Formats: sequence, C-alpha cells, structure tokens
Amino acid sequence: MGGFLPPAERRSGALLGLYSILSLLLLLAGERIPTAALRGVGAWVFAPFDRMVLSVDRMAAAWRENQDLHQRIAELKLENERLQIAGVENQELRRSQGLPLARRFNLRPVEILALSGEVLPTSATVSAGRRQGIAEGDPVLTGDGLLGRIGETYDDLSRVTLITDPNSAVACEVESTGVLGVLRLAPSPHARLVLANVPLTDTVLVGQRVLTSGYSRHYPRGLPVGRVVRAVPDASRLMLEVEVAPAVQLSRLRHAFVIPGTRREGLP
Amino acid sequence: MRSLGGLVLLLGVALLLRSTALSSLAARGVVLDVLAFTTVVWALRNGESSGATFGFLLGLAADLDAAHWMGRHTLALALIGYGVGRLNQTLMRDRAVTHFVLIVAATAVHQIWTLSFELGGISSWLFLLARVGLATAATGPLGTVLLAMVRRVSGRPIFGDVSFATDSAK
Repeated sequence: MGGFLPPAERRSGALLGLYSILSLLLLLAGERIPTAALRGVGAWVFAPFDRMVLSVDRMAAAWRENQDLHQRIAELKLENERLQIAGVENQELRRSQGLPLARRFNLRPVEILALSGEVLPTSATVSAGRRQGIAEGDPVLTGDGLLGRIGETYDDLSRVTLITDPNSAVACEVESTGVLGVLRLAPSPHARLVLANVPLTDTVLVGQRVLTSGYSRHYPRGLPVGRVVRAVPDASRLMLEVEVAPAVQLSRLRHAFVIPGTRREGLP
Repeated sequence: MRSLGGLVLLLGVALLLRSTALSSLAARGVVLDVLAFTTVVWALRNGESSGATFGFLLGLAADLDAAHWMGRHTLALALIGYGVGRLNQTLMRDRAVTHFVLIVAATAVHQIWTLSFELGGISSWLFLLARVGLATAATGPLGTVLLAMVRRVSGRPIFGDVSFATDSAK
C-alpha cells in the first residue's frame, strides 16, 4: 500500500502512525507515568507568564477599585457636607434648649501590640502610655466601633480592657428605639456579648445597631458597639436576653484610637 | 530554525492563553478551543507532517498542564493536524469559508474526543452536546474573524504564499 504513495506522504503517514501509537500508549499507561516532575517543569516555565497575566489582572482590579473609591469619596464628601450643616443646626438647637454642646472627639492613633484572653480576646496592649497623654479610663475605639477603655497605663504602653472582658459593663441603647441595657460578657453556654436588663415588653429587632448610651459614665454617647443578632426571653420570662455581635472584629485588630482626657475634661 | 522558533512561540502563546484568559472565560461557559484553532492554522500553513507534529506536541503540553491522564489531547490534535495538512492541498486555503469549516470541524472533533473521557450517562451526553455546540459556535466565527483581521493587517494571504513548501509538494 505504502509503495503507491509518494515518499513525502509515506513519511507523514509514518509520523502520524508513530504519534497515534505514542498517544495510545500514553492513554493505556495512564497514571503509571510519573508526570509530577514534568508538570513541575511546566509550571516553572510558565510561572513568569502567569505572574505577568496576574499583574495585568491585578492592575485591572486596582483600576476598578480606584473608580469605586473615587465614587465613594465623592459620596462621602457630599454626606459630610450635609452632616456639617446638620451639626451646626444641632448645636444651635441645643444652645437654644440650654443643653450642653457636643464636642468633637480628639482621637489619638495607637497600634495594637498584643491581644490576650481565652476564646475571645479580653485585653489589648497598645503603643501609647502616660507620656503620650493616655490616662486610665480613656475610651478606645476603631473606625468600626467601641473597643473598650484603658485599664492600666505605663510610660509608653497601655493595657485596654476590652468590652469582652468579664468585668466590663457598658451602658448601651438600641439605635432608633432607645431601648436601654447594660452590655456584658455572658460566659455560658458559650462566650458572647449580651445586653442585660432589657424588659420583655421592649421591642428589640435582630439587625438593630447598639450604641453607647448617654447614661454611660465611661464612654461618650453614640459610639457603635455592635448589632443585635438574637433577642429571646430569658429564664425568668421577665427580661429579654439580647445577644450582640461586636462591631469591631476583635481577632483582626491592628490599629485603634484613644480619646484622651475624658476623665479630666468630662465626656463629650 | 525559524520554523522551530515559530512552533515554540505558537505553542507557548496557545498554552498561556488557554491557562489564563481563556480558562476564566471557560469558567463562565464560553469555551474557545485555542488548541484546535492553532493546530488548524499551523497545519494549513505547514502541511500534514508539521501539522501532526505540532498537534502532538501541543497536545502533550496541554496534557501535562492539566491534571488528567496523558494522551487525551495528543491523539486528537495530531490527527487534526494531519487531516488539515492533507486537505490544504485541495482547498482554497485563504477563503474565510474554508477557515470557518475547518475550525468548526476541528473544534467539534477535539471537544468530542476530550470530553468523551468524562462521560457517565445521558445527562453527560447532553452536557457534551451543549459544550461542543458552544465551543464550535464561539471558536468558529471568532477564529475566522481573527484570521481575516491578520490577513487584512498583513496585506497578503496568510497561507497562499507557502503552497509549494508543504510536505506533499516536496
């Protein structure tokens, strides 16, 4: 048969036969062929190209993110304008009613150096102390909400008692409804924050924000503390047990802010 | 030597495209069979021996790149390379219709062969048909347009100038 074909066609036919046999042998051999090393070489060869493509992909993602952030900044600027107008209006109204004026927070940034506590972190060591004007009792917060207050101070370090400390108690209120309660750590059946002393007759809905209340002696009013995740009658059937998820991700703390001088100057 | 450089470059580009941009497209359901497309292009330009070799090497590299048994792509792509290389003597190689038919046929053959390893029942057959339909519907027109664009940009036929350099004509 091969004799009827021109030499070039015979050669190409033989080549195809060889490739077909090799392919079938590869298929029959299956997993018995040690391909890990070859795949490793392939991955090594293509790694720079993959990185290049990944860089382009990241640049595209960064560009999109940049656009989103620009839009967010514009929105926040507009919101800030509205809030400033509302703030001025609020100050005037408070002045006309003879109420004390709200002060702006003077925030001092600190770095979280260490967290300690079992199950939930209960205390944190921060990178500022007495020399930086930090005093015991100063509230500590992040951009997300309240963290706790300064429990001990040293020259250049301080120890923060977090709201998850078993001895901590924060007077709180539920946003919009004004339901009052005291936020404490309930250690059993599992460690969680609970808003105690809430009468059964009060309405508390899952998802509502919990803020520091004006009755707190340690914290300024209106700092976000958490969000209601569960509200059920307690064992006595007279009070509500309101479980609160903290606003701050306590396991991912890097930086925080102290509001110094609240003890000396009073709460804002 | 120049031909070898071209072969390595095309292999690299095809594999890189397949493992990056096209794999993310495939995850969204758009299957562009770059392996079949490049094999068709190479075989149309260089003839059956070179086409079969290109298909075999590309298939081997694709098999190594994927975490499945080797040999799945090699046989199909070597046969496609050989078949298209044989046909290039009798076809009007620079016509868009020829490109379209060859790309569609090669994509269908390649997809059916490689996907048949994953079959497990009627539902899988439906999946195979859908996948083959999608792949041919996407790769055929896009490949044809791409070749037309290359021809337009270069200002000369892509395959016509090598009609006397193919294997059978040697």
